[in-house]
Amino acid sequence: MNAPTAHRAFSPGRIWAIASNTLLELVRLKVFYFMLLFALLIIGSSLFMVNFTFQQQFQVLKDVSLGAMSIFTWLLAVLATAMLLPNDIEDRTLYTILAKPVPRLEYILGKLLGVLLLLAVAITLMTAVFCIVLYAREQMVLAETARVEAPSDELAAALANVKASTFNANLIPGILIIYLKAAVCAALTLLISTFASSSIFTIIVSVVVYFIGHLQPIAREYWLAALPGGADPSPFLKVLLGLVALVFPDFQLFNLVDDIVVGNAVPLAMFLKTAGLGLGYISIYTLVAYLFFANKEL
Amino acid sequence: MSAPAISIRNLTKVFPIPFKRESVVAVKELSLEVESGQVYGLLGPNGSGKSTTMKIVLGLVAPSSGSTEIFGRDSRRVESREDVGFLPENPYFYKYLTGTETLDFYGKLCGLGGKKRRERTRELLSLVGLENAADRRIGGYSKGMLQRIGLAQALVQEPRLLVLDEPTAGVDPAGSREIRDLILDFKMRGITVLLCSHLLGQVQEICDRVGILHRGVLVREGRLEELISIGNQTELILENASPDVLAEVEQVIARGHGRVVEKRKPQTTLERYFLKVTGGEE
Amino acid sequence: MWRTRLIAMAVLALFGAGKMRFEQQLADEHRAAFFHTAKLDLSLRQQLGQMGFLAALSGFRAVLADILWLQAHAAWERTEWGRMKLLFDTVTALQPRAMFFWDMAAWHMAWNASVAAREDKTQPREALRIKAQREYFKVGEDFLLRGIQNNPDRPLLYDALGRLYRDKFNDHAKSAEAYEKAASFPEAPEYDRRFAAYEMAQVPGREREAYNRLTEFYRMGEKERLPTLLRLLRELEVKLNVPPAQRIPKVESPH
Repeated sequence: MNAPTAHRAFSPGRIWAIASNTLLELVRLKVFYFMLLFALLIIGSSLFMVNFTFQQQFQVLKDVSLGAMSIFTWLLAVLATAMLLPNDIEDRTLYTILAKPVPRLEYILGKLLGVLLLLAVAITLMTAVFCIVLYAREQMVLAETARVEAPSDELAAALANVKASTFNANLIPGILIIYLKAAVCAALTLLISTFASSSIFTIIVSVVVYFIGHLQPIAREYWLAALPGGADPSPFLKVLLGLVALVFPDFQLFNLVDDIVVGNAVPLAMFLKTAGLGLGYISIYTLVAYLFFANKEL
Repeated sequence: MSAPAISIRNLTKVFPIPFKRESVVAVKELSLEVESGQVYGLLGPNGSGKSTTMKIVLGLVAPSSGSTEIFGRDSRRVESREDVGFLPENPYFYKYLTGTETLDFYGKLCGLGGKKRRERTRELLSLVGLENAADRRIGGYSKGMLQRIGLAQALVQEPRLLVLDEPTAGVDPAGSREIRDLILDFKMRGITVLLCSHLLGQVQEICDRVGILHRGVLVREGRLEELISIGNQTELILENASPDVLAEVEQVIARGHGRVVEKRKPQTTLERYFLKVTGGEE
Repeated sequence: MWRTRLIAMAVLALFGAGKMRFEQQLADEHRAAFFHTAKLDLSLRQQLGQMGFLAALSGFRAVLADILWLQAHAAWERTEWGRMKLLFDTVTALQPRAMFFWDMAAWHMAWNASVAAREDKTQPREALRIKAQREYFKVGEDFLLRGIQNNPDRPLLYDALGRLYRDKFNDHAKSAEAYEKAASFPEAPEYDRRFAAYEMAQVPGREREAYNRLTEFYRMGEKERLPTLLRLLRELEVKLNVPPAQRIPKVESPH
């Protein structure tokens, strides 16, 4: 028989076992294939913008694709995370897992990591399709442009112009931030699900927080600075705005692609700070999720 | 002397009812010990506090007061789970995993290394008789197979204690018999078993000791035969005894101031009969 | 459970207090890099409706702008100029960093809508037709000026403004100024510098300055000696009484 051995307080191996199993569980849910398919359809559909100039075509293609990526990663994050705990509780697999020497923190981390892996797979797939579509369109436009009779230097300039309006390196940080925003939403949803009574409740609360989070900067700016024109809001309103600014994340800070598509550059320092903020939210939400989960009666 | 497999001291668990001032007392001042090597039956009707007690022992629920230990380690500590395997009532495992993958997953959770894990998985699958279903998805398992893979996962890290919650609920008689035999087999190997059940016939067959919970209170506790034997009676079962012999026996009994309370043909149990006609008996 | 909730709230509040300032700083930094410059205000909300406004707020600003742009395109095919202007206003408010929208909106107004107004068969009085035409020039100018306000870091709209002043307002001074501003950006096309000099040549009082610049281009070699350059140089040589020895050689025009 086993002699009592020293227990490893923190084991990446266990977290990985739970994470990879969670990924497998999520990938097996067919509803998410439909969502990916839908994303692919939308990206494909922006091919049919042929009556417009190439700048317009590419801009619409990028806007629609990145918009679809944002909404799908977000939906995936919320829907997938909301059902993880309820499913494990309902199937009693949670009991069998926690009856093993698995600290609850590791369980929470493993589940979150599983969702983050799923989101990474999803956004990588979508980015790949997006790049392929964009590249194919670029080649078509380049071929059309090359057929035009023009002096060689003007033609070269025109071709360079086409290339400049397709993929630009600033899209990469933009897509990373889309991922991070979805990851923050996943951590938030996991936190809610540790005390929620049903996954519907979890989803609703998470969606509401998402929308309020986009209005948060308005509240924050009113709170930090007095109203423009010197008018002071009522004390009640002031407290309310302060609470919104305090509790909710500023999701606007994670919307960079809209401006990147139209040519904004992302300075490295700004990217790192934005990413840092996202990681901060993920850590703090995970910590609070753990606090609730550690004291949860199963 | 080694620590008992389970030791419960003055355990009380109160569940508050949300939005109400009242609360439910699920377990009240419960104390009991399960000695190492025993098969202990915890009995009681639904809602008597069996499940709560079990969950507290496993650290799934925190006690309101009192404490529980597994081989001397407090249930609230993660390490205490190294020595216990748990089979919940009506367990489902991840449907998309095969039997092998399921055991592999639980082996990883227990920190077993690759080679050891594979060996252990194979060993357990053969122990519970699922070698032929090892590579089938759990989604296609029957109730009895689920229960057996559940037992195997509970044993994956070779714990010294098994906690089984209604291990035969919903399983057909043949499967039920197999599980019973497995439990006896574990006992032979020195594994302590805490069995929660309301199927008294089964408990009677395999348990050394039982505790009866009623409304959160331990109302009776002790060795099974002591609890249920009727002190001044003896049962004789005779074979090929002629009526003359029987008459003589009765005379002998009367001479010793004894009394024949009942005379009847012994019957097999319906379970044994069922197993015999369906070929389940060895 | 209550203890847990209290601790959780305390953790969130502590983090919230810390992150609020950080978020404000980061938001300022984002704005300095021209992110989130769209003014999502009440008037935009009226134009977009509740759902549209919510979509714009929650990360679908760009897609919404594209959809409205397509609507404007449809309005153009039906020559609904007033509707186009309204849609352009909304589109540019949603995507103030899309140069393309400002540029095209101004072009539609100053070049297309203005011509349509000039040739409006329903308006018999020519004075009013000319007035309407001028108003569309102003609308075009207004789009470019607002666009420049939102994109002070890019040359394209200055370039468009130079062209508008030159071709529609016939205002060489303003045109020269706009082209010059465009040319001051390193990534500006080279013709901006040339156009600035061309326009300057037609501004009374700046002939000498223009002459010096044009000569500079001339000296850069054969490639720069474009017909307009040569014509303007010769005109200035006459105006400024440049001594014949310093004038550029007379060459037979190819035609």
